[in-house]
Amino acid sequence: MLDHPVSQGALCAKGNAALEILYHPDRLTTPLKRKGEGWARISWPEALDLVAKGLSQARKKHGPRSLAFLSSSKCSNEDNYLMQKLARLLGSPHIDNCARLCHAPSVVGLNRTLGAAGMTNPIPDIASSRCIFIIGSNLAENHPVISRWIHRAKDRGATVIVADPRATPTSWMADVFLQLEPGTDVALLNGMAHVIINEGLINREYIVQKTKGFEALVQAAKDFTPQRTAEITGIAPEDIVRAARAYATSPASAILYSMGITQHSTGTDNVQAISNLALICGQMGRPGTGVMPLRGQNNVQGACDMGALAEFYPGYKRADDPNTIRYFREAWNATDLPPGPGLTAMEMIKAAGRGEIKAMYILGEDPANSDPCSEHVRQALGNLDFLVVQDIFMTATAQLADVVLPGAVWAEKEGSYTNTERRVQWSHKAIEPPGEARSDSEIICDVARSLGLQFDYPDAASVLDEINRTVPQYAGILRERLEGSSLVWPCPASDHPGTPILHCSGFNLADGRASIVPVSFSPAAEVASRDHPFILTTGRVAVHHNAGSMTRRSPSLISREPDLYVEMNREDAGALDIEDGDEVRVATGRGETAAYARLTDRLKKGVVFMPFHFPGTNILTTDAMDPEARIPEFKVCACNIFRRD
Amino acid sequence: MAVYIDINRCIGCRSCEVACQRVHGGHGHINVHYVREYAAVPVLCHHCQEAGCTMVCFTGALYKEGERTAFDVEKCTGCGLCALACPFGVVWTDKIAHKCDLCQGREEGPACIATCPANALSDDFDLATRRARERAARTAAVGGKR
Repeated sequence: MLDHPVSQGALCAKGNAALEILYHPDRLTTPLKRKGEGWARISWPEALDLVAKGLSQARKKHGPRSLAFLSSSKCSNEDNYLMQKLARLLGSPHIDNCARLCHAPSVVGLNRTLGAAGMTNPIPDIASSRCIFIIGSNLAENHPVISRWIHRAKDRGATVIVADPRATPTSWMADVFLQLEPGTDVALLNGMAHVIINEGLINREYIVQKTKGFEALVQAAKDFTPQRTAEITGIAPEDIVRAARAYATSPASAILYSMGITQHSTGTDNVQAISNLALICGQMGRPGTGVMPLRGQNNVQGACDMGALAEFYPGYKRADDPNTIRYFREAWNATDLPPGPGLTAMEMIKAAGRGEIKAMYILGEDPANSDPCSEHVRQALGNLDFLVVQDIFMTATAQLADVVLPGAVWAEKEGSYTNTERRVQWSHKAIEPPGEARSDSEIICDVARSLGLQFDYPDAASVLDEINRTVPQYAGILRERLEGSSLVWPCPASDHPGTPILHCSGFNLADGRASIVPVSFSPAAEVASRDHPFILTTGRVAVHHNAGSMTRRSPSLISREPDLYVEMNREDAGALDIEDGDEVRVATGRGETAAYARLTDRLKKGVVFMPFHFPGTNILTTDAMDPEARIPEFKVCACNIFRRD
Repeated sequence: MAVYIDINRCIGCRSCEVACQRVHGGHGHINVHYVREYAAVPVLCHHCQEAGCTMVCFTGALYKEGERTAFDVEKCTGCGLCALACPFGVVWTDKIAHKCDLCQGREEGPACIATCPANALSDDFDLATRRARERAARTAAVGGKR
């Protein structure tokens, strides 16, 4: 793939280890049903029969709204499209995917401010930036390939600003490193806006022609003087000024952000503050500019585009809009469809705990590990009358299921995927799935048919064909055009070349203007207290992926990062008499977990870090949520640390 | 030919290590070392012009083949003298000697170079030196500050 426009043949460590997961002996190879404490292998007809019975019984007894569906941002567009269609044709509005846990605020925030939820510019475009502002993203570890484009920009003299509570390999690239306190992003962004407005560095022409709401931002940012911002964020005032000037005055500045922005109880505010900054400087709609939410999995963008979201039908058509329901009723030949918004990923599991959701169908997700407050999640899933999990490994969530269906990985099925820059690519089938495992689309179709629905899709191309008709952004992304090539949505017609850069001529909002939505700073849901004096922030490491069901099974990856650890400042550790490598207990209001201490200068005093690839971490995290986007605050919770003895 | 390392670019992601393992049956020959929390350096065979390992190898398992320090696994006795002789610590023995073979026989060239997400590794001497010169020039131009 030397000719790939983004990776140019490069791979991260996980990509290099992918074959170890493909042929792993732990792969699920037959359908399983729970039998006492263990599992019994069953045939496909029996499994489909059980699933149909489990879902239809709950539906008959408690109504369609007692069913909930979790789709997967690791699966293809076609898998996701079918999954949300299945949920909605069964009458349940409760469909979501784990984008909820990573970029739900981007969907809400960017749709509101810019009228499109996605990266505005493609990744190679970063090379033409003259100032790159990375906030809340450790892309060197999590999107390593992007660093080659950043270095290319640096070669041409670009300034790189990194804002993160933790010094990371990403901050190695920085000319200006802003080490802020966790959860103070709005203050920093408002503080930068203050400097830019005060020093007259705004792009007045752009603001007048392309935006509305600027005056309100002037008011909102008024109090965020560098001094006050410095007090809140812990960053030196002169660094805030330096960063603001560099961003505003460069001929092309881009903002890259990720989960350090979104996984907060103020996630949507954070995203809006970012787009405000870009809008007042007019850093939008040209090469090297833009707002770039870096997605966490291979198909987060696609799963959202396909409508596997509680508040959107395919193509971001609002689920609470009667026109949407009318449109899809016609397109899908359905008598009735449920209006939304349905319950989000976190809410459906809470509802299961309360007994309101009776049956769930989970595709390729592991909420028992990946959701916050995971002890509660396990209890809630145990409370279901019926749980079917479709996955490639026996995950912690699958352990709780009544029926487990063996799915296929990317190389064993075909379909399209939409990467973080909205680029739609076709993936061919290379090998057969192991044993009786089958492609996820096939399984979903079979489940749908055994429930009496018409799901006649002979292959993934036929699903894409329907997507072309129902999702306007994908109208021109035809199967044959994806052969050996890729297209960037929006691509509204079969002769349209795709749209790598958004917002060149205006915004897809009322009167074509972007909205500047001022935000005020509010602190994180939890602050350090006497009982819990440390702030725990969570994140990823280079050699693991999310809840770790795949990467913890890869010998070459797990050997490089075998255990759960907690990174803490040397001084903090010294006060507690903890040495590097000591086993410690980390405790929060939700529970406690064992980890190895890793002493470091990466973190300021009072802040500790844990990777979330191991089951222990999310026992600790809080389920405080962003009120709009419903994303949990993985990035800030108060904890305490004890020596083991 | 050798693999040149741009330490300013390395992000310590260990992709090269896993790629090397992948193409060498599980035994990697490149290792990323961390300079505390400030930098990372991949370490691998330099393919020295006057290679100490080849001078001590009494069976001729390690030998110079043009610019490459090549290795003939059939001749290796696993004696470990090469590991003692290498001034950079990049040859070691585990039953037999292990060291970078520049992915001999691999059409696409060394796997670590192809896979490096940050473009920190290259086999292009001119590229490596040009980057260094440009970096020095930029630093001189802005007085080391931005």
